[in-house]
This record gives sequence, structure tokens and C-alpha cells, in this order.
Amino acid sequence: MTAQARTVEPTVPLVAVVSRYPLLAEAVEGALEGIADVRAFPAGQGDTSAFLRLLQPAAVVVDSTEDADAAGDFALESGATLVQVLLREDRIRLLHAGRWQNLSDGSASPERIRSAVAAGIYLRGYVSER
Amino acid sequence: MRRTRIVVADAGQIFRAGVKHLLGHESDFEVFEASSFAELSEILEAREPDIAIVDLELPPSGGVEAVARLAPLHETRMIVWGFDVTNDVVLAAVTAGAKGFLQKEISPAGFIRSLRGVVRGEAPLSRGLATLMIDAVHGLEQRDRVRERAVALSSREREVLALVAGGARNRQVAQALSISEFTVKRHMQNILHKLDLPSRRAAGLFYRSAFESVGAAEMERTA
Repeated sequence: MTAQARTVEPTVPLVAVVSRYPLLAEAVEGALEGIADVRAFPAGQGDTSAFLRLLQPAAVVVDSTEDADAAGDFALESGATLVQVLLREDRIRLLHAGRWQNLSDGSASPERIRSAVAAGIYLRGYVSER
Repeated sequence: MRRTRIVVADAGQIFRAGVKHLLGHESDFEVFEASSFAELSEILEAREPDIAIVDLELPPSGGVEAVARLAPLHETRMIVWGFDVTNDVVLAAVTAGAKGFLQKEISPAGFIRSLRGVVRGEAPLSRGLATLMIDAVHGLEQRDRVRERAVALSSREREVLALVAGGARNRQVAQALSISEFTVKRHMQNILHKLDLPSRRAAGLFYRSAFESVGAAEMERTA
């Protein structure tokens, strides 16, 4: 394929929110408006890891530890950004280079989720080649 | 058209933002946010919202306390919501003045439906919570019946029963009350007779049902 034949089209990155709490997806959707296409998926519906491999989102937001573990496998394989929002503890964690990093000091906000997800998406390169 | 004014009182920014984003798509709602009792109180005064969604863990003293203090002062219909819900919590919220109870797992469509129902005068309570509520009311009635039976006990017998319910043996009860073990045994026999209970364990459960918040159903089963 020559350089001239390659067409590069900007695509809107997909962010999957896997959560028991649909209002989390609403908050993420609001925070990422104009940045990503946010889709909500209910937690506990089966094999989250396999589901994410099929979906291939640029970033994943989860709330439960079970889904964080399952999505962690996918994130490590694909380079997708993985954010866990611990709603009861009001905390946010980011999986970075295979290790969890705390992102919030006492308060989980949509803005922090946006920062983490947007940074991950742009670092990954949201313009894909077709 | 006058929009329905809603205040979301929750320390968690995520839930406030989620509600705000969700209702932002609906033309008939106007949303305010509060992260504490003080902010909720201010908004109720200044904006007179139609509905307040109050988190069970609203700082500093919780949603039930907030509703108990604010519901008598405002016409705003207060709905409590939370993560973990037990029948006692639902009952406490409703007794405090809440018009309904929602779980935070609620779907966006269910949430909007509930709010519109509140506007029509309905009390939002999911099917699962309705069952909890009925159980709680039954538990309350049983507790009242148990308390009525407890009236038959003398004050000394109640002291003995309190210690037995706490796990004390006859010797420990005797020491605590400065009486003989023989007297403790006699008190226990009288207690079991008056309450028509078969055992010490049942008497202990009876005490907790009557004077603490342990389910009376267990006591009834044991008796």
C-alpha cells in the first residue's frame, strides 16, 4: 500500500461502560460529550473479557472489581484505557502498565474520568487507519 | 410549561452528574445539586423544588436524618435513594417523611418514570423494596406484640433477662445483680412461664426483639 493510497479518517473512539449503575454511564457520557461515543452495558452479563474483545473499545469504565479484573486482561492485550470507578468509596483508579493507580484523592468526579479516558484515547491515537 | 424542579442531594459527584445528564435530555425537568445537608437545606429554601432525591449517606448525618429534619418544613416530596437497602432502612426513611425509596441501580428509564410518578402523587418503590417495606411493617407489628408481653415482667426480671440476652450465665447474672444463683434460676423460671417461652435462648431472642432491633420473626420461630 502506497502512502497516497492510504486513507486516514478520524473516527470517534468508543468507550464502554460496564456497570451495575446505569447512572454512572450517564455521568461518563456527559463528561465525554464531543470526545467519545459512550455505550453502557450492564455488569454481570457473562464473560466481560470476551465481550470487550469483540467490541474493541478504546477505553473501558467499570465499577466492580470483578469487571475490573476481567477488563484488565482485555486492556493489557489491546492497550485500551481502563478506569475503575469505586462508587461506594468515591474513588477512581486507572490501570497503567499493568498496575492500578489511584486518580482521585477522596472524590471521584466526572472530570477526572474524562481526563483519564481522554488522555488514554489520545495517547493511543484516536485516528485509525482504514 | 412549568418544569419539575428536582434537587439531587448526594455527596457523590458521579450520581449527581449522572442525574443531571440524564434529565438534561428531558424538557420537563430542571435539576439542582446539593452535596450536603446544608446545601440541600439552602436549595429547599431558595428554589422550592418539587422533588428532592436524598442519598442515604448524605453528609453529615445521613439521608434519613435529613428527611426527618427537612420534610416537616417544606412541601418538597423527598425520595431517599441508596446502595444497600434493608427493610429497616426503608421503613426508617418512610417514617422520617420520605415519599419513596429508590435503589441506585435504577435504570434511566425507571428513574424518569419514578420522577414523573412522584409529580402525579405516586410513591416510588421498586417491587423488591415494596416487599422489604411490607416485611418491615410486619416486623414492627411483631415487635409491638412482643413489647406488650414484656409488660408482664417485673423490673428485676427484666434486668435478669437483659443480662441473659447478652450471653451471661446464671453465676454472672448473680454476681452482676448481687443475688444468689438460686434466685437467678427462680427469676428465669418465672420469665419463661410469664412469656410462655421454652428456653433461655428463646428468652434472649425475646429480649432483643422487644428492646433491640432484631427481627421478631426469629423469636417467634424459636418460641
